[in-house]
Amino acid sequence: MAFSIHSMLAKSPWFVHYNCNSCNGCDIELLACLTPLYDLERFGVLHVGNPKHADILIVTGSVNHRNARVLKNIYAQLPAPHVVVALGVCGSSGGVFAGAYNILGGVDKVIPVDVFVPGCPPRPEAIIDGLVRAVGILRDKSAGAATVPAATPTLTVTPSPAPQEPHVA
Amino acid sequence: MIGRLVLVVLVVLGAPLLGALLNGADRILTARMQGRIGPPLLQPFYDLLKLFRKEPLVLNRIQIGYVYLHLAFMLMTIVLITLGQDMLLALFTHAFSTLSLVIGGMSVRSPYSRIGSQRKIMQMLAYEPVLILLVVGIYLRTGSFMAGAVAHLDAPLITSLPLVFLAFLVALEIKLEKSPFDVATSHHAHQELVKGITIEYAGPYLGIIELTHFYETFFLLALVTAFFVTHVWLGVLVAMAVYGAAILVDNVCARMRTTWMVRYMWTVPVALAVCNIIWLYLQPHVGR
Amino acid sequence: MLTPANYVLALIGVPLVGGVLACAVPWRGVRTVVVCLTATLTALVGVLAVIAGPFSITCGAWSDPTALALELLLIGVIVAFAWEARAWLIVLLALVQLGLCLTEQFSAGAHLLATPTFILDTLSSILVIIVCVIGALIVVYATGYMREHAAHAPRTTAGDRRFFLVLVGFLGVMNGLVLANNLRWLAVFWESTTLCSFLLIGHEGTAEARANALRALLINAFGGVALSLAALLAAHRGGITSLDGIMSAQALVPMALLCIAAMTKSAQFPFQSWLLGAMVAPTPVSALLHSATMVKAGSYLILRLAPAFAGTRLLDVVALAGGFTFAIAAALAVSQSNAKRVLAYSTISNLGLIVACAGIATPLAYAAAIMILCYHAASKGLLFLCVGAIEQKIGSRDIEDMGSLLYTMPLTTVITLTGMLTMLMPPFGMLMSKLMAIEAAIEAPFVLLLVIAGSALTVFFWAKWIGRMQTVSYHPHYPRETMPFSMSSVLVVLCALVAGGGVASILVYRTLIEPMALHTFATASAHTIAALHAAGNLLSWPVFVFPLLAALAWLWTIARFNPAHVRLPYLAGENYEEKELSYAFLSIKDQPAVAWTTSLYFKHTLNELRITPWANLIAWLLVLSLLGVLGM
Repeated sequence: MAFSIHSMLAKSPWFVHYNCNSCNGCDIELLACLTPLYDLERFGVLHVGNPKHADILIVTGSVNHRNARVLKNIYAQLPAPHVVVALGVCGSSGGVFAGAYNILGGVDKVIPVDVFVPGCPPRPEAIIDGLVRAVGILRDKSAGAATVPAATPTLTVTPSPAPQEPHVA
Repeated sequence: MIGRLVLVVLVVLGAPLLGALLNGADRILTARMQGRIGPPLLQPFYDLLKLFRKEPLVLNRIQIGYVYLHLAFMLMTIVLITLGQDMLLALFTHAFSTLSLVIGGMSVRSPYSRIGSQRKIMQMLAYEPVLILLVVGIYLRTGSFMAGAVAHLDAPLITSLPLVFLAFLVALEIKLEKSPFDVATSHHAHQELVKGITIEYAGPYLGIIELTHFYETFFLLALVTAFFVTHVWLGVLVAMAVYGAAILVDNVCARMRTTWMVRYMWTVPVALAVCNIIWLYLQPHVGR
Repeated sequence: MLTPANYVLALIGVPLVGGVLACAVPWRGVRTVVVCLTATLTALVGVLAVIAGPFSITCGAWSDPTALALELLLIGVIVAFAWEARAWLIVLLALVQLGLCLTEQFSAGAHLLATPTFILDTLSSILVIIVCVIGALIVVYATGYMREHAAHAPRTTAGDRRFFLVLVGFLGVMNGLVLANNLRWLAVFWESTTLCSFLLIGHEGTAEARANALRALLINAFGGVALSLAALLAAHRGGITSLDGIMSAQALVPMALLCIAAMTKSAQFPFQSWLLGAMVAPTPVSALLHSATMVKAGSYLILRLAPAFAGTRLLDVVALAGGFTFAIAAALAVSQSNAKRVLAYSTISNLGLIVACAGIATPLAYAAAIMILCYHAASKGLLFLCVGAIEQKIGSRDIEDMGSLLYTMPLTTVITLTGMLTMLMPPFGMLMSKLMAIEAAIEAPFVLLLVIAGSALTVFFWAKWIGRMQTVSYHPHYPRETMPFSMSSVLVVLCALVAGGGVASILVYRTLIEPMALHTFATASAHTIAALHAAGNLLSWPVFVFPLLAALAWLWTIARFNPAHVRLPYLAGENYEEKELSYAFLSIKDQPAVAWTTSLYFKHTLNELRITPWANLIAWLLVLSLLGVLGM
């Protein structure tokens, strides 16, 4: 890769991680990526604590009515150029909670998402793969190239039908 | 004159490079101590260049001025020491460099930033006496406040200031934001106070703070080297060893409370330094 | 051109006459004009006198009886006030002083040395400039301030007419105090400043104000007794009647007593309580008497006498007492959240540093002391005036209430911030002089430790306050601030003076203070002279280009500032945005709450009530050890 200032964004992706409504499965797998076995810091990845220092926002869990506001606020505090990664099926589409009365759906219902990483939870290799895609998009955004938001994942399972009114004898 | 100017330019340009390399080494060493491989050595450069590409988010216009002052006073300190000028002045400009960051952190309505600032100022309260005693010790040895006078000594400072050196090492641990003193904004633990004092600086402004940190690392290790001024290479080796030891302490220590830090610094290291200063006063050729 | 005698007369007389005129005029508008004219004239006379100086004048035979008569009159007035307030201890002290005066008059032997009655040398010139220029500015400010003040002052407040009589007249007696060489005239002006302070502290007439005024009177009456005793013993033991007589005779006993008198006036521990109480007075009084000028009289006296006693053990104790006050007052300032109390403790602390430097008595220490004296007078006067303006607007003196002031009163806040930064930022004068104080304190190791501790604590409380004051949200536009012209103009002028003079501190040191210290310490050892030169030998001044560049870069950034980059603070994403840029977050039960962090005060560790008795005990021991010379 030729040296350019834009490639610096690819070499130093700092991510902030927000748990929307997750069961913590994805979060634990994400943190596993930082442990000695996978050691994401080899690629300059840092797990920062707040959006103002971050390049990548990683969201786990499905979005509901209460946390949508928080997610929007955190997104607004990311300095451009930035990339959003939705981690796990819940973040991608709402997962098993899709269609529930309190669930809006995946992260893309609230903020634009650049990378979807499916899995319940995704394996660390999948997460690393997603991050590699994310840094590519980050570099393109920095260079001013047009980036296409990721296609919205489609639900492959039909949500269970709404419960019937119990029959009163 | 020209020679000095060239020296200043060299130091001003070279110091951040060295400081960044040291920080890169720090990250690798820390990773190895934790059983990881760690980032490339040049990672701090990547981080810095990246930050200058990011959007400069702020809360108000006041905080920007202080981040510039943070860097400016640090540069001033470096240049003063390079030119062999008044060490006490350099110490005060260095203190004001830190203080700029504190005031900048306090100028925003952010609770994390404020708490970080207050902890930073507690850190200053803790280490500042040790640094002043260090300068006093050097004065008593050389008879001048000029940093240049150190170069003309016939025996290295360490022979007359061993306890001050020890006290300075503890202060160094605070200045480098290492455990157990990394209360204001931990350099490795990014979750602690969510970066505390620097939280409301984004993009280039955070980059300037990082850059200043590179300068500071260089400056502090140069001070360590100054203790061995007649044997510069030995000094450089000791400085590296000290840096490694600081990283080791960082990795084996838990973070302590700020009040503990002040109590500890004002007792053990200050007492050590004072003891050393008394030795110097007892020598016949020193003082009045 | 005027003769020296006329200058002295004008320096003392102009403000006194102006004060009487201001008191005589029943209309407020005319009184303001009279006060402003008097202030201008005083400043003019002060500058002209200093240009015409140095000189000394010896008064004729009328001088001594006049001074005695005035002193008796003043003691009488003090007794009358104390009697009225049933303050028997003050009455007793005043009567003791009366006895001492009369004993001196009727028992002393022949006065051998004919010495000048008034001297205007470089040291008194500096004090005269401070009194006449800064004092005049504060008096002008007071005209605007008191109009506002009258609107919400308690009913018991004494009239404006008495206030301006005392405030303007004070400039005259203060001039007299710094010019006087004759001990009796010194005592006259010394007692007059005590009386002025008493009247002004009690201005509001509330129970608290009256109690604090009496406390100030009590402690300063104690100092007055020490002064009279010094005069008596000086006359008895060597026929000395003047300050330079004490210096040339190296009379330790009067010196020790004068040091105690000076410590009362400069509110050194254990005499600090009156200055803290004095903060009930209207702010111009605090600025003029209790930070810029009157409290400087004590340190001035020690500074004047100390060079003759360099190297004596007595001065070592004085230096230790000063250093102790510096450190302990700085520590107590950390625990205060009342802005005026912080300023009061900081004043005590800086006066302690001056006394410490005067006690070290090397050329460098002397120079450092004079630098602190000048720069502290200007900066602290300005800060008091600012706090006064802020208090009138927000109705609070609490530092924690001073957030967001940058938006509501931008001018005052910027000026306050400038004033505070000049107290601790390089290259301003206060920092440079503190640097010199540390360099000088190497000669006295114990003082050095106290100075180091005090410096660290000083930075702590200033930074807290600066941080709180400039906390501000983003505002695209700042409104204009409304303030009486007399107040805003004085603030701007004084701020320019403080900032300009502060930046030029090294120049001031080289051209003015270094020669002065050399002249005073003509016989100092070579290495102390070398230290004096080394401190001012700042070859590296071009490095100050860096902060300047930073300031320019800031202006440039602000000029191209894009409001789109403004964000809310990180509050874990819980920001509550009802209207634009709200700084609240959504708390329990979805109620908006504002994140609020108070500054650190350590009210438990640095408990004022617990520390003060111990500090007083140590300080009393130091004062008692000063008295050890009485046995000699």
